[in-house]
Amino acid sequence: MEKKTVVTEKVPLQTLLEEDGILRSPALAPLVTFPLEVVVPEVRHQTPAVGQRATRPDSRLHGLGQTRYIDDMYFPGMLFARIKRAGIASAHIKSIDTSEAEAMPGVIAVITGRDVPCNSFGPSLKDQPVLADTRVFHAGDGVAAVAAISEQIATDALDKIKVEYEPLTPVLDPLESLKLETPGVHAPSANIYGSKVIKKGDVAKGFAESDYIFEGHFRTQMVEHVPLEPHATIAMWDANGRVSIYSTLGRITLGRADVARTLGIPMSRIRIIATIVGGNFGGKNEITTEPVLALLSKKTGRPVKEVFTRSEEFIASTTRHPLIMDYKTGVTKQGKILARQIRLVLDGGAYCSWSETTLGKACILSAGPYNIENLHAEAFVVYTNKTMTGAMRGFGAPQVCFAYESHMDDIATALGIDPLEIRLLNAFEEGSISPTGQMLQSVVVKESLLRAAERFGWNTDGKASTNGNAQGNTKSNGNAITAGKGNGVAKQLPAHEQATHGPAAHEPAVR
Amino acid sequence: MVNVSIKVNGEMRTASVPPETTLLRLLRDNFNLTGAKLGCDVGDCGACTVIVDGLPVNSCLMLANQVDGREVLTIEGLATTDKLHPLQKKFEEFGSLQCGFCGPGIIMSAKALLDENPAPTVMQIRDALGGNLCRCTGYAKMIEAIQAVANGSIEPVASKSA
Repeated sequence: MEKKTVVTEKVPLQTLLEEDGILRSPALAPLVTFPLEVVVPEVRHQTPAVGQRATRPDSRLHGLGQTRYIDDMYFPGMLFARIKRAGIASAHIKSIDTSEAEAMPGVIAVITGRDVPCNSFGPSLKDQPVLADTRVFHAGDGVAAVAAISEQIATDALDKIKVEYEPLTPVLDPLESLKLETPGVHAPSANIYGSKVIKKGDVAKGFAESDYIFEGHFRTQMVEHVPLEPHATIAMWDANGRVSIYSTLGRITLGRADVARTLGIPMSRIRIIATIVGGNFGGKNEITTEPVLALLSKKTGRPVKEVFTRSEEFIASTTRHPLIMDYKTGVTKQGKILARQIRLVLDGGAYCSWSETTLGKACILSAGPYNIENLHAEAFVVYTNKTMTGAMRGFGAPQVCFAYESHMDDIATALGIDPLEIRLLNAFEEGSISPTGQMLQSVVVKESLLRAAERFGWNTDGKASTNGNAQGNTKSNGNAITAGKGNGVAKQLPAHEQATHGPAAHEPAVR
Repeated sequence: MVNVSIKVNGEMRTASVPPETTLLRLLRDNFNLTGAKLGCDVGDCGACTVIVDGLPVNSCLMLANQVDGREVLTIEGLATTDKLHPLQKKFEEFGSLQCGFCGPGIIMSAKALLDENPAPTVMQIRDALGGNLCRCTGYAKMIEAIQAVANGSIEPVASKSA
């Protein structure tokens, strides 16, 4: 047996005393004061709600700065985690060397995708790795995670993790991705991973009967939710094999199922505590790093916290789908729409997330709130090696609203019709049938338009005059007429419509 | 490690922190004053706004060492055991805060404005909140609440957008 020599260095007493002082100095927090007597504002006593200001029961704590968001919580012995992001759009991972990071003082644990029991998740398709282990699909993919005694040490440790990549050509353009010859982002699965077709009437006949046919092409960009509070999680694994997770997650029941699947433990062993969230907007609808934190906590036996940096919010959380929208509309001389053909291509990014929901809603609403007898709308969502797209306020409705209302304006201008008139001529009314066969009730589109036009002074010559630039010959004061809305319209599917309302014929066979 | 002595909400505090520690980290991690929030860490969102020697600052951009010997007021220093600060009261009554994450920063920016200019115009209020972002409710109700504290009367904010 090898004999070990232990050298004990004699530390001067003064040094020990100083260190003791340093350790003790910030032990007590300053007094936080708040009113002991709770005075309920008068507004909450007033019973008629209409005309009163809406107040929130939690706003006193917000105003006092005493709301406890996740980053405001601390548990004894807590560690801080950071995740190494790939920084490359598409690549094979040849090797990940974490030894140097693990050797750093203050680093307690490092994990990679190989430590995840079931390394895939997603709200619909399970196509997203918890931590990428063999393949990187977009630059925001996590490849390794570090838990350390401070956030700074964890951040420093990320640089010590060596990942060897074999770069692949990324697919970045959704229209390229749509082509059959383009290599699959998630090969062997096809790049088109969701589609929807809505058929109503006969568009060929409708176009033949039209006096004019207009085409419009519209694109929208990727949008990040930018909640002021970044994604944050604290995980605590206990000796009973149960894990408690404080999370900014909005859908905790779904989150439990996803976490259970990735960790390979029953849902009954997972407790997710939803805290007050500093803004969601759809961006916190699914788990992101919760399983990673749970595993770090399991490995270290300590609570582990992670808060996204702002740049992680942009590259590693979901965003709004960019849409490429092609519209073709046949109209009479008077502006009555006889036929409309629509193709939507949704850039799904690297993972499915809530793409199927977004696709469905965008497609159903893409014709706008107008009576169109002959309609053909088709929508496709494709993979690209970009930040994943998912839920965001309206699920695709705002994008198509921008397209169909811009298209209506273009048609009105070309025909020399007032933009308001063309909408009144075509808008839904009581009992109108939606593109998917739903009979609409309580429809006040025309009334709302007329009321709005009256309120902000829309003249029949297409100019707003009462406020703003009355002399101008353009709509220069920023007023606009829009019949559509960024949301709403139920997704009802009558039985007789199902035949024409299913997936498109060339939906990918392999998923 | 650097030793920092600052007056926080009227009370002298000292701490020994690594030199890269920001004022925000010092307040949150060492003094347990978590009212100021970390939103972007680059001085864009204003969620970390506190008042240093009377001026509103992004505490995520200021090093703890730079505040040595100065006086800092945070959101926790506004209310007393008797009553809320008028801004806190009006923000509550007007429903100015939704998720609340930006609230402490906005209220501190407003406090700094009213300390300097007790009767600001809507444009001056807008200007003072220029460094604070809100993603939930927008700014109209906040501006109305600030006006209510300053003037007791409110100009409608929406029509002032031109």
